[in-house]
Parts: sequence; structure tokens; C-alpha cells
Amino acid sequence: MNGRGKRRVPLALAITLGCGALLATLPWVLSDFLLALALSCLMYAALAVSWSMFCGPTHYLSLATSAFFGLGAYVTAWGLESMPYGLAVLGGGLLGAAFAALIGLAVLHLRGAYFAVITFGLTELTLHSITYVEKTTFETAGRIISDAPETPVIYWTVLALTLLAVATAIVVRASRLGFALAGIGGDEERAQTLGVNTRRVKVIAFALSAFFPGALGAAMAVRWTYIEPMSVFNPFIGFQTVLIAMVGGAHTLLGPILSSVFFSLLTEFLRLRFPYAFLIVLGLLLVVLVLYLPGGLASLFLRRARTHG
Amino acid sequence: MAESLLSARGVSVRFGGLVAVNGVDLDLSAGELVGIIGPNGAGKTTFFHTLSGVLKPTEGRLVVAGDDLTGRAPHVYAAHGVARTFQTPRVFRDMGAGDNVRFALEFAGRLRKHKHDAFDDVETILGFLGLAEAAAVPAGALTPARQRLLEIGVALGARPRVLLLDEVAAGLTQTELDATAQLIRKVRDELGVAVIWIEHAVRVLMNTVERVVVLHQGAKIADGDPRVVAKLPAVIEAYLGDEAAAVSVAA
Repeated sequence: MNGRGKRRVPLALAITLGCGALLATLPWVLSDFLLALALSCLMYAALAVSWSMFCGPTHYLSLATSAFFGLGAYVTAWGLESMPYGLAVLGGGLLGAAFAALIGLAVLHLRGAYFAVITFGLTELTLHSITYVEKTTFETAGRIISDAPETPVIYWTVLALTLLAVATAIVVRASRLGFALAGIGGDEERAQTLGVNTRRVKVIAFALSAFFPGALGAAMAVRWTYIEPMSVFNPFIGFQTVLIAMVGGAHTLLGPILSSVFFSLLTEFLRLRFPYAFLIVLGLLLVVLVLYLPGGLASLFLRRARTHG
Repeated sequence: MAESLLSARGVSVRFGGLVAVNGVDLDLSAGELVGIIGPNGAGKTTFFHTLSGVLKPTEGRLVVAGDDLTGRAPHVYAAHGVARTFQTPRVFRDMGAGDNVRFALEFAGRLRKHKHDAFDDVETILGFLGLAEAAAVPAGALTPARQRLLEIGVALGARPRVLLLDEVAAGLTQTELDATAQLIRKVRDELGVAVIWIEHAVRVLMNTVERVVVLHQGAKIADGDPRVVAKLPAVIEAYLGDEAAAVSVAA
């Protein structure tokens, strides 16, 4: 993994940058509707890639994405009047990472369903804490975003975050951090007896992966004109991220990216075509995919590559 | 005691009312080859867990190379040069055999300088164990016997001063067993690593080690030259049955 992986890093980064340059031209090419769709694809790609960065190799199931996303959105809601958009995005990312480090120290020793449940619980706790603070301290239920940036600016910001998430994932996979995470996923206690400070590694990686949902929350918040906790801490964002990553194959890099495009387009198509039944269709599709393709969509390509190579 | 590399003082482990290890003392000097034997349930593996930090002892102290590591995490023991194998091989099944060894070199191994410089790359370690051609094979796809060998290779990748081997020869044929005993001697002789070896194959073990420790119901009942220990009445009594005969033969 390490020897061969490292040589491919410059190539993978170059491809990422090339795709980024192409995607950066889309605001001049696409209609508003299609640009919004592209924005949604990018957002879920970044969320799924950053989720897989930690949860893919370690097999943790984090449902805290919505918490990081919501906190990031509130950085924008609180700060956009006093700071530039870019700074709010950076602040959202840092808050997401700091919060992840804090809860990581407390709950990363839990595994499996316990970890999933507690991260979900913490998301709810964050939601209600923000609601409480807003109601008691500021006496408001929500906030209106005035002078939001233009859609192309939002698009380029989210594109930059997506490229950064992919580049980070590429570098992490080839690094000692990624190697340690793979060992933790394989057998955590064995990794410890081989000299890995697993607690530190997990907290660092969890915080790193939470930077992106935090920053994306801050970047996307301006798309809503009215921000309230129930909408930005929406657990659906977290679930959707997990599903996209798992359906794509969280142990791969390309899987979550392809599956986020697939899912964003599919969701949009179903919403337009079957406005009342789209969640049912989506749910059924997920059941089928999980039952018949447990390794994710990426396993289709890997299987093909193996039979050809 | 000042010069001992690893020192356990009054180590006890209790699980609720059950005393698994009961006040065991053990001192290991650099380059020593020591065997631990004892009937099933004697607490051998539990004792190993405490020596590698996997299990915190209920009582007692553990000192490695002069540092008190009692209650510290396993990675601290690894950084101090204690490497171990597990009874059931715990290799990273999805990684290649080579990457398994590389993992140990990359973490515990990197933390420590070592004297045997020729022995610090994946190819050399796999070659030493006769696993050179398996480097790219996922560890989970190796036969159980080869997984046990790889488990030793992973421990060697950690560049240990002390190597703890827990039943690395279990389930092997007599020929394979003799080969493993030779390999263990070679590790000690050529790399200067101190070895503690737990094995049920008492005869081979007694013929290989210079010193043997006998555990019975969690307590140490003998510690010394294998030929002397094998004649002790308490040891023979602990081994009533088939294994008593094996001990007598070894003597």
C-alpha cells in the first residue's frame, strides 16, 4: 500500500487539479438550474470523500456529519456580517475540526453501533444546544442572511473545498496516517502493540475529516436565506453522506465521488418525476444496492479490473 | 535487578473473583531465551498480556529497560522494544504479507534504533522466515502455519529487544516444530533479542531454552535450568497425566 501508493500521488493530484479546472468553467456554461445541481453533486462528493477519509479505513460509522455541517452553517449565520465569506468558510471548517477533536477524545473508544448511536445523539444535542442559546441569549428562532454572495462564487468555493478534500484524501491514503488508519481498521489492538498511538491517530484523522463538513456548512449556508437549527442540522445530510459513501465503497477514493454524482442526479430526477414517491423509490433502491452490492459500486469496477488484469 | 531488561514484580490479574495470575515475579536479561510452561489455564497468556500492556495488571509493577510502564498503553511497551505474537495469529488480513511487516517497521520499528542493521527491511525479514515469495499475498490468504510465521515476522519488524512468543508452534507437525525451535534460537543468536516463549510442546521447549518458568493456577512454581526444573516434584505433580511423561523424558 505504501510503496506503490506513494508513486501514484503526483499523478492523482494532477488529475484532480485538471478535473477542477474543467469544472471551474461550468458557471459560464450551465443554466442556473443545472449549476445548482452541479453544486449539490460537489457538496455531496466532498462530504462523502471526507467521511470516507476516516470511516473508510477504520470501519467506524459516524453520523456526526450533520453536527459539523450545522456548526459551520452557524459560523456563517453569526459572522457573515462582520467577516468576509472566505473567512467564515475557514472558520466553519476549523470549528468542525475542533468539535470533532473534542467529541473524538470522549467517544472514539466506542465501536460499531455504539459509536454510530452516540454520534447521532451528539448531533441532536448540538442542534438543541444551538436552539437553546439562540432562544435564551439572542431571543431568536432563526437568522436571515443578507448580502449573500453570487451563485458562481458559492460554486467556486464549494469546488475548491471539494478539490481540497479529494487532494487531502489522496495524500492521507499514501501517508503514515493512512497506513495507521488501515491498521486500526484491521485490528486496533494489534496496531497498538506495533507502536501506533491509536487514540491520537484516530482523533487527528477524525478532526481532519470533520474540517470539510464544517467548511461546507459555512459555504452552503448562504444558499438558505433563512437559517434555523432544524434545517442546517438536518440529519438527512448525515445519512445521505453515509449512504453515498457506503454505496460507492468507502474504502475507495473514486467510489464515493461517482456515487455522489449518481445519487444527486437520481434524487433530483426522482424528485421531479415522482414528487410524492421519490423517497420510497430511493429507499427501495438502497435496499437493493446494499443487498446485492455490499462492497459498493466500486466493487463492480474492481472486479472488472481484476478479471482483466 | 538493575541490569534486567524486563522486570515483572508481584504481577496479579483478577477477573472478578477469578485469580488468573497470582503475584508472579520475572526478570529477563538482555539476550536470554526463557520458556514458560504450565497446564491449560495456568495464566501464561494472561501474563503475556500484562508484559505487553494489552492488559493492565490488577497489582504489581512492570519495568522495561529501567522505565516503569505499569498501566501504560501497549504502544508505549512497543516503543520500549517489547514485541509479541498472539496465540491466534492477528495479522492484518487484508494487507499483503510484506505490508504487515512494513507496518511494524513503520511504527514500532521506526521509534527505535537497533544493533542488527541488516535486519530492517521487509525483504530480509520475510526471507529469514522463508516467506519471501508471499510478500504480495494478502495475509488472510496464507495457511495458518504461514500466518504464524508472518506473526513472528511482524514482531521482528518492531525491532524488539524482548520478543514474546505465544504458542507460535501450536498445531505444527514434529518437523515444523523442530524448525520453529531452531528459528527461535537463530533469532536470539543472530539478532541478540531476548525471547520469552510459551509453548505446550514441552519437550522441544525444554531442549531449546536455557531457563524455564512454570506457572500453575496463576502462580510461579518453578524458575530455573530446564533439567533441574523437570525433576521438581511440584512441577511433575502439576503436569499429572500425559504431559508429566513428556517432562520426565526431557529430563
